[in-house]
Amino acid sequence: MRLFSAELLKLRRRWASYIVLIILLGLMSLVYLLIGVSGRGSGGGATFISFPGSFGIINQFVFGLGSLLGVAYAAAIAGADWNWGVFRVAIARGESRSRYVLMKALAIAFVLLIGVIIAYAVGLLLTYVAAGLASVQPGSLLTRNRLDDVARSLYLGFPVLIERAAIGFAVAVLLRSQLAGVIVGIVLYIGESILAAVLIGITLADQGFDGIGRLGMQWYQFLPFSIGDSVLSATTGLGGDDITSFILSPIPLNTALIVTAIYLAAALGVAVVAVERSEISG
Amino acid sequence: MAITTRGLTKRYGARPALAGLDMNVPRGIVYGFLGPNGSGKTTTLRLLVGLLRPDAGSIEVLGQPFSWRDRRRMFRIGSLIETPSFYPYLSGRDNLRVFGAAGPPTRPERVDQVLSGVGLADRARDKVKTYSLGMKQRLGIAAALLSDPELLLLDEPANGLDPGGIVAMREMLRNVTAEGKTVVVSSHILPEVQQLADVVGIVSAGRLVSEGPLTKLLEATGHVRVRVRPDEMVAAAPILRALAADRPLYGIDTGAQAGWFTVSVLPSRASEVNRLLADAGIHAMGLEAGNDLEGLFLQLTQGTPAATGPAPLPTSSGTLGPHG
Repeated sequence: MRLFSAELLKLRRRWASYIVLIILLGLMSLVYLLIGVSGRGSGGGATFISFPGSFGIINQFVFGLGSLLGVAYAAAIAGADWNWGVFRVAIARGESRSRYVLMKALAIAFVLLIGVIIAYAVGLLLTYVAAGLASVQPGSLLTRNRLDDVARSLYLGFPVLIERAAIGFAVAVLLRSQLAGVIVGIVLYIGESILAAVLIGITLADQGFDGIGRLGMQWYQFLPFSIGDSVLSATTGLGGDDITSFILSPIPLNTALIVTAIYLAAALGVAVVAVERSEISG
Repeated sequence: MAITTRGLTKRYGARPALAGLDMNVPRGIVYGFLGPNGSGKTTTLRLLVGLLRPDAGSIEVLGQPFSWRDRRRMFRIGSLIETPSFYPYLSGRDNLRVFGAAGPPTRPERVDQVLSGVGLADRARDKVKTYSLGMKQRLGIAAALLSDPELLLLDEPANGLDPGGIVAMREMLRNVTAEGKTVVVSSHILPEVQQLADVVGIVSAGRLVSEGPLTKLLEATGHVRVRVRPDEMVAAAPILRALAADRPLYGIDTGAQAGWFTVSVLPSRASEVNRLLADAGIHAMGLEAGNDLEGLFLQLTQGTPAATGPAPLPTSSGTLGPHG
């Protein structure tokens, strides 16, 4: 518990914890305000600034862009311990390598959870602000269905974000570098999205897709960063955070959650094995 | 023994860092661990706290066999290895708080105790990134002391310390050993080690080339320096060489140092050197006796005495090096 508290202290004092959230909230605010201003008088974009349509945008930001930022954040935190040589200090004091890494991952997850809750709350608030600007009725949030949507988004979206962040964390631990971890984590994240898009194109061409309905499930939907799209598509029934969700049939939710959990465990397992086996010479 | 190693071997790829190190550190003393750059000092310290795995050999720490998985033994060890490492955005106090959360349980009040002990109480709330090198060094020593360890491993602890800081560190380490604890100091600042260490181990190319109480080592490798008139050097040389026929004789016959000979004999034989020269009608212009750690270090690691001390005995045809 004292190790977890110490990790939280480190994260609380670190600017990166706030910068990541500020970037997310800033971009989300910008988009909502643009929708609100551009829809003024015409009521355009009303779907996106009223409930339940607004959940789609909030989910895209919090769990889509949020995942990318989460990957970078987790990699930055994990890699910094190697860059600054403080991992060496902890191990030389007799700390368990596995426990140290897992407590760090848990603390990062905790901070990300707080960030997700704040970002989601701000997203809901921005819906009212943008609706007000566009003179659109946002509808009531305080209905059972809407509150269920919020809860469902949070409890399904958060594991996806954590799984993706864990991959960034593991990459940074393997590379023992903050910068390399962040860069490689982002490259993997974006690279997999590009790969999925290319593979979808190939699938579309192969199957002569006519634009109606959805294609069946494809193997690349099970890739580490893509699997979460199937989970996110189940949050509000409005799709995940990228194009695959609109064209491909999502993987059944339970299956997607299990695969997400496996990737999460695998990422943490890789990080633990890496630190347990590593010699610390720098 | 606080530390015993036998045949300790470690390679980085093809490069051997340690090639069978046999080291014995008695308890309750300051052990000076000396060696040139790349001789294996830091590798040894890393092995002693489980950061590295040895390729071969054995380690005993605090009387029991030690492996790199034996992390609870490290609860009894405090260390400062290589450069002091901290979270730059945290204060000195917060750094110690987070370090105290790792490894052995640490009482919260211990943080302020060690900060006061290294003279950083006034700057405890400042971020470490604003600290000078010397302050970081002191904070590193404070971190090593955090768990009140029985064995303290300090790698170049005097780096960046001002003279006052060095004196304070010396007193602090003396106090630590007065409590029966053991301190291993790896350092390049030889005069500092000479003042501090009870026992020294000198490592070269991954092997221990000498180990023992500092006073005995210095005495055994002592020398007498005697100065004669340059025109008497040829006559003096065989007399001096005879004093220690199996040890090299160093002499200088040009420049401002002309006339100086160095004889490798116990410093207590200085009067004998003077008498033998006087018996041959050669009157010494100067006489010095003793040895220092720097001379010992260079003799053992390079095979030559200190550059500022004796130089090889030249002849009319050129410098030939030490003459046995």
